[in-house]
Amino acid sequence: MKMNKKKIQSLLILTAFMFSLFSSAQSASEILEKMDEVMYASKDQKSVTTIVLTDRNGKTRERKAITMQKGRHMRLTRFTAPASQAGIGFLSLPGEVMYVYLPAFKKERRIATHVKNQNFAGTDFTYEDMEAKPYSEKYIPELKETLSDQYVLVLKPKPGIRSDYAWLVLYVDRNNFYMKRVEYFNRAGIKAKELVSTFEQKQGYWTPVVMEMTDLRKQHKTRMIMTEISFDNNFSDEEFTVRKLKQ
Amino acid sequence: MKTISDYVLRFRKVIIISTIFITFVLGYFIKDLHINPDVFDSLPRDDKVAILFNKVGEEFGGNYYCIIGIQSEDIFTKEVFEQIRQITDSLRFMNGVGSIMSLIDVIDIKGSDWGIEIGKLVDEYDLPDTEKEWNDLRSYVLSKEMYKGTLVSADATMTIIMVRLQGEVEKIEVARNLRRKTMELGLPEKLYFGGQPFFIEAIGNVISKDLTLIGPFSFLLILFVLYFSFRSIRGVILPVLTILISIIWTYGVMGLAGVEISIITSIIPILLIAIGSAYTIHVYNRIEETVVKNMDSGLKVALAYIMIPVFFASLTTIFGFLSFIFGSYIKIISTFGVFTSLGIFFAMLLSLFFTPALIATFPSRKSKLNRRSSGSFLILLLDKLYLYINKYPKTIVIVWAFIIIPFLIGIFRIERRVDFLDYLKKDNPNRITEKVLTEKMGGTSPVYVSVKGNVLDPEVLKQIKATSDFMLKDKNLVNARSVADLFEQMNDVMGEGKKIPDDPEKVANLWFLLEGQEVLEQLVSPELDEALINATFGSTDILDIKIFIDGLNQYILKKGDIKIEVTGIPSLVLKLDRRIITSQMRSLGIAIILVFIAVSFLMRSFLKGTIAIIPIIVTLVILYGLMGLSGIPLDIATVLVGSISIGIGIDYSIHMITNLNHEMKFSGKLVEAIKNSIKISGKSIIINVMAVSLGFLILLWSNLIPLQRFGLLVSITMITSGLGSLTLLPAILILIEKSKLMLFIKPIKK
Repeated sequence: MKMNKKKIQSLLILTAFMFSLFSSAQSASEILEKMDEVMYASKDQKSVTTIVLTDRNGKTRERKAITMQKGRHMRLTRFTAPASQAGIGFLSLPGEVMYVYLPAFKKERRIATHVKNQNFAGTDFTYEDMEAKPYSEKYIPELKETLSDQYVLVLKPKPGIRSDYAWLVLYVDRNNFYMKRVEYFNRAGIKAKELVSTFEQKQGYWTPVVMEMTDLRKQHKTRMIMTEISFDNNFSDEEFTVRKLKQ
Repeated sequence: MKTISDYVLRFRKVIIISTIFITFVLGYFIKDLHINPDVFDSLPRDDKVAILFNKVGEEFGGNYYCIIGIQSEDIFTKEVFEQIRQITDSLRFMNGVGSIMSLIDVIDIKGSDWGIEIGKLVDEYDLPDTEKEWNDLRSYVLSKEMYKGTLVSADATMTIIMVRLQGEVEKIEVARNLRRKTMELGLPEKLYFGGQPFFIEAIGNVISKDLTLIGPFSFLLILFVLYFSFRSIRGVILPVLTILISIIWTYGVMGLAGVEISIITSIIPILLIAIGSAYTIHVYNRIEETVVKNMDSGLKVALAYIMIPVFFASLTTIFGFLSFIFGSYIKIISTFGVFTSLGIFFAMLLSLFFTPALIATFPSRKSKLNRRSSGSFLILLLDKLYLYINKYPKTIVIVWAFIIIPFLIGIFRIERRVDFLDYLKKDNPNRITEKVLTEKMGGTSPVYVSVKGNVLDPEVLKQIKATSDFMLKDKNLVNARSVADLFEQMNDVMGEGKKIPDDPEKVANLWFLLEGQEVLEQLVSPELDEALINATFGSTDILDIKIFIDGLNQYILKKGDIKIEVTGIPSLVLKLDRRIITSQMRSLGIAIILVFIAVSFLMRSFLKGTIAIIPIIVTLVILYGLMGLSGIPLDIATVLVGSISIGIGIDYSIHMITNLNHEMKFSGKLVEAIKNSIKISGKSIIINVMAVSLGFLILLWSNLIPLQRFGLLVSITMITSGLGSLTLLPAILILIEKSKLMLFIKPIKK
């Protein structure tokens, strides 16, 4: 009897443990999906982005761009400043298709997919960081910790997903499910970059107004400040074509 | 002097105890010493080549390359690429690593029908599968000058992983870790580890090996010679003790001062063996020759006599070494000058105070007279020598004159062909690696050319390209990479030809795509006001380096409107070489003058001073002539021999002439005085020459070729200056006496 009691106890503990694992996996996925939903809640959005690059000596450079996004996979970024880069356009389409338009050449060029780990136009964001693809499509989440105001998830790339990162640590707001902070760990397990975002509710949508990415090795920082944000502009797919990119 | 010798005897115990105490204290600090074989570790702060080299290290992601070569029958296979990926991945985030360039992550700008790829040569997650795909990749890579002969050998049997080290890191430590980590992967292909940090490490290992193997062996040989000469244990122990203590004191002070052992300061013990032992040999021999009945009174007399020549001998030698401080390009040479001088000073102090204190405290029980009358082989030889010199002084002078004629011619054939690869023996694995990497990949020495100006200005880019093209005309220069190449390739894939666009807007547009690429850290400054051309030089031969750097500097001079500067290992080597030669030639001159003044002061006569330096001049002629005739080049190690030969050579002359003066006091006859001087000083000189030349000849077994040459040359110098002082010097004195031109040596009035 004694043995049986012990066995039952162990079984109960094991079941509870398995259940907790299962439930945490479930909730981790749910959290990530909810976060994606919050981030891509609007049909479309438009904003003016000011990009401030700060090097290790504290020297800054500034750029401006207009960004348009429709759904989860279509994004067009057109630079407006500095003058030398005004008109340069960048188009991201479903299926990891990316185009760049160079006005001085009046030509567009498609960008290969495996350049995703390259930095995007001198910022600390790589093409991978910039791509308009929901996190839940790319990563397998695991709930690491639940804090009073945020969830801490560990994200690992799904099999078949190309990523320069071994894992990400994602901090998600517990109440509104927006992304507060991301820590990027390289394949050597070293924290390589850190993204801190400030979200605000605008027109009913939680949207980032400031995103600051720091490359810890280079001690280089990119701060993106989003202004003039508008949602549900009813952009047609036509706005996200190569023809439009060239205009 | 008598007062000092009184003090030595009175405080003999204090001297012994203090010496032991100081030895223990300073000996303790030897543990803090460590070897730093990097010649360029402390570059001057006021030299623009050195400043730019350091700046490249700090601002352009490092200035030293570690090169890992992978050799295989065919590089273009999945297995080899997997290995490249494994190595690249495992080293990328290592401490001290600035950046890595390998086939797996090299930037590639490709134009295709459908678009543009600015990314990596291969997709590391999706390597080619089929043989056709590999063949296509091979053809593509070998068709691009950016890769062929730089990252992959033309025959596709070797590829390299270029690891650029961050500035201000322990290069050797990082290199060691790189090798360890790579070897831990247990890869099947043959690996080579090349580049300066590995090469410096190899030299460091050789120095340690030589210090631990050759040093003690050389010591043993000197012990043997000393015993053979003096036939007494104390004749062996006393000089050896002086040397040992002076080495401990010198290295102890170095440890205390935080000074590292460099390739040059590693020879300080060997120098102290050569120079320091001489002082004790002279002191001991003089005491042995003087003390007959009463130890203390005899010792006092001997010491009062020997103090002056030993002091002046050390002073002149110190002058010779202190001259290294002035005008040396790298700190290790002036450090060498300071600490060798200090070591000599210690050896002199110990010979004059510690040695007599020991002899006085532990007097010999054997009767001095017995041994003196025994008439050793050496005494017999010196007797014969004297007879011959006295009989045929003219012949001796003529023979010397004839001997130096071919050497005089040889001086003009002396080479400055310095090749750092020559430092290691031909069968040394690192030398083989450097040879293989030079043959297959064009070399391992980094060259950096800085071009100042707005990097996004088409005119500046064209200047960068023109400079890079000019550099590539040199047969030894490969792998010239600059931001201009990237713009040219980008312009090409935009369908406008492989050239720098004339329109600044086009440059700005292309920059949009390029900016943020990791490789740019090595090619442009963050403010975009300076570009750096990175290249590799494939020769370590100073003549090749000279042709390249001088040619490039002339090119730069012509481009007066744009600021271009060159640095890198070849430039530093050339600077080092030029500064060593000029500063050492100058310091050789300074040393001769200082020695001449010191000796003239000692002898109270400029004529005597002149005669005293004759054996040195002859020695220098023979030394440099021999180097010219035998093809031993003047380099960082051999250039030191000149000053050493002055330091040592003058000692023999000083001893001979001081002894002569001393003998003249008693006999008043020059011939008699010369006879006795040859016997007494001659004995010390011959013992010293034999002990030290044999000790130095041991260096022929060194694994470092400059040390081999150094050993040979110092041995020859010792023999020549010893023979010069024993034959030429008395022969000239006799000739002067016989010609009655003047009464050269006068008895000194008491």
